[in-house]
Amino acid sequence: MALAFDEYGRPFIIIREQEQKSRVRGLDAQKANIQAAKAVARILRTSLGPKGMDKMLQSPDGDVTITNDGATILEQMEVENQIGKLMVELSRSQDYEIGDGTTGVVVTAGALLEQAEKLLDRGIHPIRVAEGYEMASKIAVETLEKISTKFEYDVLNFEPLVQTCMTTLSSKIVGRCKRDLAEIAVKAVLSVADLERRDVNLDLIKVEGKVGGRLEDTELVYGIVVDKDMSHPQMPKQIEDAKIAILTCPFEPPKPKTKHKVDIDSVEKFQALQEQEKQYFDEMVKKCKDVGTTLVICQWGFDDEANHLLMHRGLPAVRWVGGVELELIAIATGGRIVPRFQELTAEKLGKAGLVREKSFGTTKDRMLYIEECANSKAVTIFIRGGNKMMIEETKRSMHDALCVARNLIRDNSIVYGGGSAEIAVSLAVEAAADKIPGVEQYAMRAFADALDAVPMALAENSGLQPIDTLTAVKAQQVKENNPRLGIDCNDAGTNDMQEQNVFETLIGKKQQLQLATQVVKMILKIDDVITPHVY
Amino acid sequence: MSNMLQPQIILLKEGTDTSQGKPQLISNINACVAVVDAVRTTLGPRGMDKLIHSDKGVTISNDGATIMKLLDIVHPAANILVDIAKSQDAEVGDGTTTVVLLAGEFLREAKPFIEDGVHPQLIIRSFRTAAQLAVQKIKELAISIEGKSLEEKKSLLERCAATTLSSKLVGGEKEFFSKMVVDAVTQLGEDSRLNMLGIKKVQGGTMRDSFLVHGVAFKKTFSYAGFEQQPKSFESPKILLLNVELELKSEKENAEVRLSDPSQYQSIVDAEWNIIYDKLDKCVKSGAKIVLSRLAIGDLATQYFADRDVFCAGRVTEEDLQRVASATGGSVQTTVNNVVPEVLGICEKFEEKQVGNERFNIFSGCPGGFTATIVLRGGADQFIEEAERSLHDAIMIVRRAFKNSTVVAGGGAIDMELSRFLRHHARTIEGKSQLFINAYAKALEVIPRQLCDNAGFDATDVLNKLRHKHALPNGALFGVDINTGGIVDTYGNFVWEPAVVKINALTAATEAACLILSVDETIRNPKSESAQGEGAAAAMGGRGRGRGMPGRGRGMRRR
Repeated sequence: MALAFDEYGRPFIIIREQEQKSRVRGLDAQKANIQAAKAVARILRTSLGPKGMDKMLQSPDGDVTITNDGATILEQMEVENQIGKLMVELSRSQDYEIGDGTTGVVVTAGALLEQAEKLLDRGIHPIRVAEGYEMASKIAVETLEKISTKFEYDVLNFEPLVQTCMTTLSSKIVGRCKRDLAEIAVKAVLSVADLERRDVNLDLIKVEGKVGGRLEDTELVYGIVVDKDMSHPQMPKQIEDAKIAILTCPFEPPKPKTKHKVDIDSVEKFQALQEQEKQYFDEMVKKCKDVGTTLVICQWGFDDEANHLLMHRGLPAVRWVGGVELELIAIATGGRIVPRFQELTAEKLGKAGLVREKSFGTTKDRMLYIEECANSKAVTIFIRGGNKMMIEETKRSMHDALCVARNLIRDNSIVYGGGSAEIAVSLAVEAAADKIPGVEQYAMRAFADALDAVPMALAENSGLQPIDTLTAVKAQQVKENNPRLGIDCNDAGTNDMQEQNVFETLIGKKQQLQLATQVVKMILKIDDVITPHVY
Repeated sequence: MSNMLQPQIILLKEGTDTSQGKPQLISNINACVAVVDAVRTTLGPRGMDKLIHSDKGVTISNDGATIMKLLDIVHPAANILVDIAKSQDAEVGDGTTTVVLLAGEFLREAKPFIEDGVHPQLIIRSFRTAAQLAVQKIKELAISIEGKSLEEKKSLLERCAATTLSSKLVGGEKEFFSKMVVDAVTQLGEDSRLNMLGIKKVQGGTMRDSFLVHGVAFKKTFSYAGFEQQPKSFESPKILLLNVELELKSEKENAEVRLSDPSQYQSIVDAEWNIIYDKLDKCVKSGAKIVLSRLAIGDLATQYFADRDVFCAGRVTEEDLQRVASATGGSVQTTVNNVVPEVLGICEKFEEKQVGNERFNIFSGCPGGFTATIVLRGGADQFIEEAERSLHDAIMIVRRAFKNSTVVAGGGAIDMELSRFLRHHARTIEGKSQLFINAYAKALEVIPRQLCDNAGFDATDVLNKLRHKHALPNGALFGVDINTGGIVDTYGNFVWEPAVVKINALTAATEAACLILSVDETIRNPKSESAQGEGAAAAMGGRGRGRGMPGRGRGMRRR
C-alpha cells in the first residue's frame, strides 16, 4: 500500500510495515464489502421458510452439525472476511434479542446491499443511500405497527401462542410434530412466566436431550430431569412425597481449609481417628434422617463406605449433581441449598410429589425425574430423537420457539408471516417514496425492492415461480387492501395467512428491519479498508 | 553537533540516515499531506468510515484520533499529526479530524513558498500571528449561551451534541442520542468527573433500545448456585459495599495446623466455619439488603444471603463499585466489622433486568445523583464500539460547552468568516507577511471545501457562494448546507460547535504546522527500525545529503 510518493516516484514510509498492508479505498472498497456481505446472505437464502433446506457443517474437530438456524450456520462457518463477520454478528444480535428470524435478517441485509450496489453504480453518494434507507426503515416500522394485531391470551387459552410458535417451528426439521413441540414450548414458558411483570426467565427452563426413542416422545416435565442415577443400585427407584435435602457438602469428614496435618504416632490414635470418621458418617446420616429427609441430593461425591452406609440406613442419595441443576432443583422443590449438616432443618428440605428413576430402552442409561414439585417454577423439556444431530437441532428449534413464546408474553402483537408483512411494508414504502424529493427517493424505492427478497426467497424455496407468485400476491394485496396475503408455501390453497395461521411476532419483524438497516448503513459508510496483507 | 571539516569524520553511527535542508522540509510536508489524505474523507455529516484491520482486531471508525492512532504511523514528521489529534481528543474530545486537516492544509499552503526559497521562520512568524488573530476573532464572534435557564441551556447543549453526532454512524438517531448525552452530563453536575459516567455495551437490539440509567447499571456478575433464589428487586434497599472476600477458605496462605488428637479436628473445622459465618452475619445484621463486593462472594455466602432475602454480587469491577458508592452515598468497606449505618448506601429502586442476552443490575433513583450509566445497544460489536466513541465525543463536547458556554456556527461558517477576516487583515500589512497570512486564510477554507467534497457537491461553486455571502454584511453565519448543496445560515439551523473546539483546533494545528516547518534535518537511527530502515534510506538517501551547509543545527528528535 502506498500513500504517497516523493518527486522521484519512491514511496514514503509512513505507516509501519507499509508494504505488507493492503488498502482498498473509495467505491472499490464499498463494492468489495458489498460483495462479501452478499456472499454470506446467499448462503442463507435457501434456508428460509418452511421449505427451506438445512446446512451440514463440519467443525475442525470433525463434529457435524445439521441445522436450519441462521445464527448457528453463520457461527459455525467461521467467516474470515471482516464484512462477513459483521453479518454473522447481525444474525447473532437477532438471536440474542429475539431468538428467531436469524435467517431473515441476513437475507434482508443482503438484499438491501444488492440494491445499494445498483444505486452506487449510478453515482449516488453512499451516505445518501444509507440515509434513504433509514427513512424507509422508519416508515417500514410504522407500517408494521399499523398492520399488526394484538391477540388476547391467558393461561388457559394459549392457542394463539401455539400457532405463532408453530410458524417458527415449521421451517425446521422438526416441522413434522410442530404442533406437539409448540404446545410444549408454550406450556413451559407459561409455567415459568411472571405474567404481571411480563417477564420470562428462560434460565428456568431446562432443555435436556437423550438419544433414542422418537421425536414424538418428547415431553414436558413439570419439574427437573437430571442425568444422574441413585448412587447405589439397590436404592429404591421411586420415592413418593419425597423430602429432599440439597447439600453442597460431601459425605466425608469435614476438612479445614487451612493446611493441616494429623500426627498419628500410636495404634490407639489411629483407631480413634478411624472411630471418629465412622462416627461422622453416622452423625451425618442421622442428621438427615432426623429432619425427615427421604432423598439426599449432593453436589459432591461420597466414597463407597458412605454409599453403603446410606443404603443400609435406607436413605437414597444422588451424587455429583452440577451446581446449575442443584439450583434448579432447589427452586423447583422450594428447598434451600444447605452447605453443612449442622444447618439441616426440616424447613430447608425441598418437597416433590414423585421422584423416579427412569431407564430407557435396552440401554443402561437412567435419568432421574423430580416431579410434582412444591413450586413448579422450573420445568424441563426432555427431547428424544433418533440421533445426536437431530437432538441438537431440536434443541435449537426449541430455543427459537421458547424465545418466540417469551416475546409474545412481553408484547402480544403479531404480524402475519409468509412474506405478507414484507409485501405490505414494501408497498407502503414505495408509496411513501414518491412524496420525498431528492436522491433519497431512489434509495427508498430500492429499500422497497429489497424487501421483496424475503417473499421471493420463500416462493423460490417452495418451488414456485418467484416472480409470478410475488407479483400476483402484491397485486392482490393492493386490490383487496389486505396486508394478510402472503406466499402460499404449503400449498394450502389460500394466500390469506390468517387462515393459514402463520404468525410472527411484531418485535421480531421490527428488529429484523432495524438491525438490517443499521448494519447496511455501517457497511455503506466504509470507504477505506486497511488490512494486513494476505499472502 | 560539532564542526565537520574536510576529511570525512565519522560522527554518527554507521547506517544513520541524515537528511537535511530544503528538500527534507518539503519531503516532510509531503508525508504529512499524505497522512491527512487518509482521514480527509471522514469529515462532516457525509464523511465516510474507515475499516482498519490490525493485529488487535478490527475497528470501524469515523473518529480522526482513533484512525490516526490505528494507522500506526512511523514517519517522524507525520507522527506530529497523530499527536495533535490525540491532544485534541484529550483536550476537547471532538474536532480531531478538523485539526489534522487544518495542519495539513497549512503545510500545503506553505510548500510553494518554501520551494521559492522563503525562509521558513518568516512563514512561521506570520502563521503564528494569523492564528492569534483568528482566535481573537473567534472569541468575538462566539455567542454565549450563559445566563439561560437550565431547560433552555439543555436544549442548546443538545444542539451542540447533535452537530457532533451528525457525522457519526449514529447520525440517524442524533436527536435521541444528543438528548441522552445531555441528560447524562447534566446529571453529573458541575464538577463532573468522567469516570462517574459509565457506558455499557450490550450486543443485540437496535440503537433506539439504548437507554440511560440515572444511577448505576452493570452486568450480572458470575454467580454461584443459590443466586437465583435471591430476591431480584427491592424498593429503597440499603446497600453494603465491600472489598472483602466472602468465601470459605484458609485464612492465611501458608499457615499450617498440626493436630495430635483427632478429636480436635472438629474444633478447627468449626472455627473456620465460624469465621465466615461471623462475617456473613455482620453483613446481614447491618441491615443491608444488597451486598456488593469487589472480590468473590462464594457459594456458601450466596446461599446464606439467599436464605435471608439478601441480594449479593461478587467480583464487581472497581469502577462500577466506585460508581455505586458515589451514587448511593455509601462507602466501600474493607472489613465487615463495625459496619455503621452511615457507610451503607441507599437507592430508590434496585432491580435485575434482562437486557438483550444479559442480565443487568440496575440501581436507580440514587440520592448522590452524580452518576449516570448509558447502556448502548446495537447490531454488531464494531457498531457498538463506534457508537461508544461517538458518544464519548458528544459527551466531551457537552461537558466543555457546559462549563465554557460559548458556541460558534458550524458547517464551515466560522472558518469562512475567519478566512475573510484574515484576508482583509492581510491587505493592511506590508511585506512578505501579507502573502503568508493570505495563505493561512486560504488554508482555512479547507473545512467547507472538504465538507462539500465529501458530500459530493461542487466545492468551487459552493465556496464562491460562501465567499460572496461572507463579504456582505450579516453573512458571517452562513455555511455549507449539507442537504441541498447550497448555503444556509448554519447558526439559525442549529449547527453549533463550542468555540473552545475551534480555538483548540486552530492553535494546535498551527503549532504542529510551525513545528514541521521549523525542522530541516532528520537524523534517523537505523537500529530501531531495521526492517524499514533500508527502504527509508533508499527513499531519503538520494537527496539532502549536502554536507557543510550553513544553517544546520536544529535536528529533529525522533520520537
